[in-house]
Amino acid sequence: MATKNRLMAAFSTLAIAAFLLAACAPGGVTVVETQIVERVVTQEVEVVVQAEAYTTPHPILSDIRVRKAIAFCSNRPEMIASVYTFVDDPNSLLMDTFIPSDHWAHAAGVEQYAFDPAQGAALLDEAGWTLAEGADVRQNAAGEALALHFTTTSAAFRQTWAAVFESNMADCGIQVVRLHAPASWWFGDTTGLSRRDFELGAFAWVGEADPGGETLYACDGIPLPSNGWSGQNYMGWCNEAASVAIRAANNTLDRDERIAQYAITQQEFAKDMPSLPLFNRVEVLATNKDLAGFAPAPGEPYATYNIHEWEIAGLDTIVLGYTQEPASLFTLVENAFVAVNAYITLGGYPVSSLNYDFQANMYVTQLPTLDNGGATLATVDVAEGTTVVDTSGAAVALASGVTVKDADGNDVAFSGGTVPMQQMTLNWELVPGITFSDGAPVTAADIDLATAINCSPDSGATDFTTCDRTASAVATDTSLVVTLVPGYTPPLYFTVGNGGCSGPCWYPAHRVLSDGRTLADVPASEWTTLPEIAESPIDTGAYMITEWVKGQSMTFEANPFFYLGAPKTPTIVIKFVADTNQAVAQLLTGQVDVLFGETLGAGAEVQTVRDAADAGEVAIYILPSATWEHIDFNLFTR
Amino acid sequence: MTAYLIRRAIQMVGVLVLSAIVSFLLLDLAPGSPTEGLRQQVNTSTRRITEEDIARILASYELDLYTPFRFTRWLVGFPTGPLQLFGKEYFADYAVGCSAAIEAEVVDSAGNFSVRTIGCARYVTLADMVGRRTSNGVMRGDFGLSWGLLRARPVADLVWSRLPWTLQLMGLSYAISLAIAIPLGVYQAVRQYSRFDYVFTFAAFAGSSMPTFFFGILMILFVSILAQRAGLPWLPPGDAVAVRDYFIPVLGTIEPGTAMDRVLHTIMPVSVLVLFNTAFYTRFVRSSMLEVLRQNYVRTARAKGLVERVVILKHALRNALIPFVTVVVYAIPGIFGGAIITESVFNWPGMGRLFIDALGRADYPVSMALIMIGAFLTVVATLLGDVLYTLVDPRIKYG
Repeated sequence: MATKNRLMAAFSTLAIAAFLLAACAPGGVTVVETQIVERVVTQEVEVVVQAEAYTTPHPILSDIRVRKAIAFCSNRPEMIASVYTFVDDPNSLLMDTFIPSDHWAHAAGVEQYAFDPAQGAALLDEAGWTLAEGADVRQNAAGEALALHFTTTSAAFRQTWAAVFESNMADCGIQVVRLHAPASWWFGDTTGLSRRDFELGAFAWVGEADPGGETLYACDGIPLPSNGWSGQNYMGWCNEAASVAIRAANNTLDRDERIAQYAITQQEFAKDMPSLPLFNRVEVLATNKDLAGFAPAPGEPYATYNIHEWEIAGLDTIVLGYTQEPASLFTLVENAFVAVNAYITLGGYPVSSLNYDFQANMYVTQLPTLDNGGATLATVDVAEGTTVVDTSGAAVALASGVTVKDADGNDVAFSGGTVPMQQMTLNWELVPGITFSDGAPVTAADIDLATAINCSPDSGATDFTTCDRTASAVATDTSLVVTLVPGYTPPLYFTVGNGGCSGPCWYPAHRVLSDGRTLADVPASEWTTLPEIAESPIDTGAYMITEWVKGQSMTFEANPFFYLGAPKTPTIVIKFVADTNQAVAQLLTGQVDVLFGETLGAGAEVQTVRDAADAGEVAIYILPSATWEHIDFNLFTR
Repeated sequence: MTAYLIRRAIQMVGVLVLSAIVSFLLLDLAPGSPTEGLRQQVNTSTRRITEEDIARILASYELDLYTPFRFTRWLVGFPTGPLQLFGKEYFADYAVGCSAAIEAEVVDSAGNFSVRTIGCARYVTLADMVGRRTSNGVMRGDFGLSWGLLRARPVADLVWSRLPWTLQLMGLSYAISLAIAIPLGVYQAVRQYSRFDYVFTFAAFAGSSMPTFFFGILMILFVSILAQRAGLPWLPPGDAVAVRDYFIPVLGTIEPGTAMDRVLHTIMPVSVLVLFNTAFYTRFVRSSMLEVLRQNYVRTARAKGLVERVVILKHALRNALIPFVTVVVYAIPGIFGGAIITESVFNWPGMGRLFIDALGRADYPVSMALIMIGAFLTVVATLLGDVLYTLVDPRIKYG
């Protein structure tokens, strides 16, 4: 009894302590208005900021000759060779603009910066940074050394090529002081890159089928204290012509016009050299040498887009190795690489992006474009209270003072009445015969359920960007009509489906759960924990999941009702192999048939696979990845 | 003895609570969380995460609660809402968290920026706790829901899915290690400075100093890859079971999930652990035996004319194993906790790999569960060791 009392006393003390500690937090304040304070004066920190930070030109990097000199002094093929010993031609990975060379938006003929240290040295001399006899580092007339801090992550990959960069710069008389910071600091929400806390900063952007770029290269994308550090133009690069062009490229739906505007931006980018594009990273995939139908392509992140066509002669099972195990098969809350691939296996993949373009891959007759009439733009009169997308891109209720783009493309501040705006409608036609793996055909109710769940704040989803910009999604058993809110005409409009999906999507509303309810009756808040959704969903793809052994593997069997007929291989197994050495060993011994870039990486193990491929034991695919390394020059100091 | 056990049990609870506080705070301070990077998606070309989205996501992970309340909810499942006394609610408006902080950008004279929270725009009160999902508390055996590895589903499911594999691997390796190490250590002690002793002393040092990952990779290379290429019988390089048939010379086609399949998959990871553990235990038994063999009662036993086997096994070994009991019981947390490196190298689906995965994906409920299981087993093993002392050595009494 005494022990019990003591335990109770201990718990009570703990609980009281919790209340007391919490009481130390600010409380009892009635907040009239939420405001984000940009700077405050505190007792312990002396605050001296008279002007906007990051508006003072950098004493070294603001000089374009220095930036160009750094570009000429950089031996990028040597950097590539240092990290990708298994790539035969390092020049094939070189980047000359912010768009990969095999992308539809890449501009030819931009200013080039081939390795030419003599030209770099001449530019530095011209800029006043001279190298005294016997000195290692250049100085200016004031005797200041040409020294720059170089910041990037501590990843071994970056340490390797950065060492080459440091050596290249030293050869040109530029002293580079390398700081390899933890990624958590460099990419932190309020540290490192996001606060432009660097002089030379290296990181990677992930290229996409749509180049985007508005927040990266437009003048108003420069993160500053005054705009709450909004934007990703960490260089502080503001070139009016480029800024206008990148905006135009992102606000027109005409492909030719987009190409022309991207060309302007790339030319200005190469001319001003605010950032030195280095190289595409490589994506290495390795497979069983007899795997047929496997066709990875640049621009398409998921090589499983055509998994129903894969086959290995003599085998009825193909084993895929992934580093991670999915946290859930409810892709609304889990978008890890393995989870998306697993879901493609059982749910299909309506829209692919092979070679940085978009294609109707499954389920739909075509992508709805303005050219083919699948998409239409209409002028509508919009009244107060209607949800619109304003000129900043935010979805808001139209009210006095809200600035929108009218039907003629002019910025208009709403002051009452109605305003004519453009509204886009997308007509998706489904191919006949789409059937769930339990034999039930897809119906309008299934599509409506996906719209409702994916757009519910209770579903656990993090992103409602498209949902908030969708006025309606009207489904029939064979079609889907998506109407976007006035003012929302995204460049990738032809991929916008219901519920934020890329293309049409659905859930089996008719599915009866273990507790007797049908899926349609389950509130969105329960979906993340529902085994029928998280672990054993049914869908209309080539396969259906039959087993998930936690920590080990997932097994998929052919969907007998797949609308394209039986997949070529009856069974797919997804195996979780975290360690790269182990994964390669399993590939070499035939325990795994396919390994992807996320597992293989680009380390020494790839050379092992390359050697095995050369010996005819496995097949290897080395593709330029959409991810590309670059060095940003911060044009301003704080 | 009873009073001693009760006192120790109370101390155990104290130690567990203390370790819970320390490890919870450490993970709370650790960088990385499920919400990292969200603020950078407020305005990108494809995503526009709103403040409401961020607040909702924080709430789903309970990250909008102040640390003490998150801790007590995790530890004992309290508070779950306003205090209820005699049908009335109290402290309903008491702030237990903040779902929208007012942050200040502080700039020092050197121009360094930092962010500080200077207030709260929207508090989370005890009334807001009603209806939120929460665990019953670790102290009641409920480890809550996973953040990352098994999103929004019970941590216990993950633990139970891995525990049998770890028990199999670790239990087997410890059993084999002890079966080898005790006779080996005894024999080395009895034959001190013999060629046998030198060879196995060297082997013990090599085994205990060679990293398990190195030995593991060597085994995979030679016993799996090169053996298969040479057309020799080979062992699967990893996993606990196969997912499809495979062929091994001499043995023929092995079907997944069969006893033979499991045995073949177990051989390499167990061998690595056995080598490491045996090396350690052998040295311990050897030195313990050497000390005992010099005691007077051993000399007396020999003087009495007892045969050497009886002297060694009955008089020396029993006493030499007394300190060994402590070493063995301390293996209990390891048997349940798994071997992090070996499980990773051989892709063994055990608790050790689970721990690494949980840390890597910032799944702190899972990490905390494993830490607490380890802490619990450690204090239990310590107590067990003390109790076993009294059984194997009658001179020891607790009062």
